[in-house]
Amino acid sequence: MNAVRYVKKAKKGNKEALLQLIMAEKDDYYRLALTYMGNSHDAMDAMEEMIVRLYENIGQLKKAESFYSWSRTILVNSCKALLRKRQQLVLLDDAGADGRSAAEHAPPGDPYRYTDQQMDIRQMLLHLNEQQQEAIQLKYWHDLDYQTIAEMTNVPVGTVKSRIFQGLKKLRELYGGEADESR
Amino acid sequence: MNHVEEQLLKEKKRIDSITAPEEMEARLRNALNGAARSRTRWMSPVWRIAAVALFLLVIFGYHYNAFAYYGKKLLGFDELISGTRLQELNEQGMGQPVGKQATLTDGTELTIDGIMADANQLVMYYTLRNPKGIKEDGSRLFWPSKFSGFLTSSNLESSVSLPNEEHTEIKGTMFFEPVSPFAKKLTLHYYETDANNQLIEHSISFPYDPNQAILTQIKYPIHRKIKVDQGVLNFQSITATPSMTMIKGTLNVDNFDRLPLGLSGIELIANGESVEMIGSGHSSAPGGRKFDLRYDALPKPLESLELVIQEFIGYRQLDQRLPLASAGEEPFFLADKELWVKKVAVTSQGVEIMIATGDDILLDGVSVEALGEATSLRTTVGQIETELDDGTVLKERTLLFDTRVKPEYLYIKGMHYIKAYNEAIEIPVD
Repeated sequence: MNAVRYVKKAKKGNKEALLQLIMAEKDDYYRLALTYMGNSHDAMDAMEEMIVRLYENIGQLKKAESFYSWSRTILVNSCKALLRKRQQLVLLDDAGADGRSAAEHAPPGDPYRYTDQQMDIRQMLLHLNEQQQEAIQLKYWHDLDYQTIAEMTNVPVGTVKSRIFQGLKKLRELYGGEADESR
Repeated sequence: MNHVEEQLLKEKKRIDSITAPEEMEARLRNALNGAARSRTRWMSPVWRIAAVALFLLVIFGYHYNAFAYYGKKLLGFDELISGTRLQELNEQGMGQPVGKQATLTDGTELTIDGIMADANQLVMYYTLRNPKGIKEDGSRLFWPSKFSGFLTSSNLESSVSLPNEEHTEIKGTMFFEPVSPFAKKLTLHYYETDANNQLIEHSISFPYDPNQAILTQIKYPIHRKIKVDQGVLNFQSITATPSMTMIKGTLNVDNFDRLPLGLSGIELIANGESVEMIGSGHSSAPGGRKFDLRYDALPKPLESLELVIQEFIGYRQLDQRLPLASAGEEPFFLADKELWVKKVAVTSQGVEIMIATGDDILLDGVSVEALGEATSLRTTVGQIETELDDGTVLKERTLLFDTRVKPEYLYIKGMHYIKAYNEAIEIPVD
């Protein structure tokens, strides 16, 4: 599909064009929302919020080419707004306090349930600060480059690099290269 | 790959296997259908224009005087005011009475009688009064530094004052840099010396009415460059007010300060007659120097205006070898300038050559030659100026060289001299 043409249509108020733009990369959007929201239900809420905001503000998008990084930024902001509203400050805070509660609340068949292995890496990430977690997740799980992460989180590229570097360094210090039990 | 990254990658693979739920398209479409492109976030054009108009109205309304003043100045529709001297202007009531008073530490009463402002300067009229007598000339007692105000910081440039016979009153004028026409209030900052000779800063404020500032007669960009031997003079603008005429520009001339000429050879000619130069100044600036030339006010009506660079410092390449053996009463000629060699001596200091030239010449690249060997100038000492009967001034000095051999030739590479350029810039008047 020719994204730029669709963006131009969407800018003129064509709702279907906007929807097709999102659907073309629906898995990516969904995974991103899921990372922030932690469950499918909230992730879908964030997606809805995002598409409404996109529709309202697409007039302000200057370069059609940057639609995807712009829309991702809006999705992340929608997620954060929803999280704030629900006062769920950190993804796994609840899970950390009560390891099973989140898993129990997740609908059956949700692939995002916390299995032991997932808990492992997610528990590890909890030792980092929020910004480090976010930067590492966006880079390693969503394949986003430094520039895009910088735009999405509204900080300079250097800050993103340093957050990732410091985060990984801390993880290695905590968990080491080989020994899982080094802690 | 270490454990941490391995774990991250494993998790990434798992995340990659997640796909968006089937109902997503339907839910998003649903959400979109409920959305209306919000118009309220975008101010309608009418309201935007109204807001801008209101803003401009407030700004221009409040500063109407200043804009009217600027407008007139820039468009050149100035109603020309007759009179050319401060005194005349004062008699015409061009000043703004102020009448602010303050008492200085020794009990002297300071009165700021009034100010007179235009685009070139601000003149302050003041009086110091003390029935017990004022010590000194009052300048240590009352020592202004600058005026401040909105967009204004005007330093003191010069002052003139005169005490009365009993030394109980001093009346004076002080000249400051021009103040902004946006200023509504001016604050004079001044120092006074207390009994222990300490400087104390004080200030005194009064309202200022830019509408009463004297209108500018003409203000033109000049933008003309004149090439001189070792650089360039760049004349930028002329601003003429009834109190004076100011020409501003920049210069970048390597040998500018080699002779004490400065800019005094630049003449302003109005209606065919020379306008008296009041002063000139220059200060270093990035890439050269900034200068200003101050002349008396322009005559009225103004028919023609011309800036003439009569004289300015020049440089002439000479490469002349003067045979010292033939030195005597008759001068050598450097181009058309005379040079007398008065004495050649070998002393314990080295070789000393006493020469005399006109006072408008500075030699460059001087050396002596003896037995085919050149020795360059070490220093020049004992310069005196003597005036001849016919009024010409001769500059006599002794050149010292570090050699013990009696020289055969005096070599001169070139000279800095006052050169007649006679270049004219016509300034249009309409």
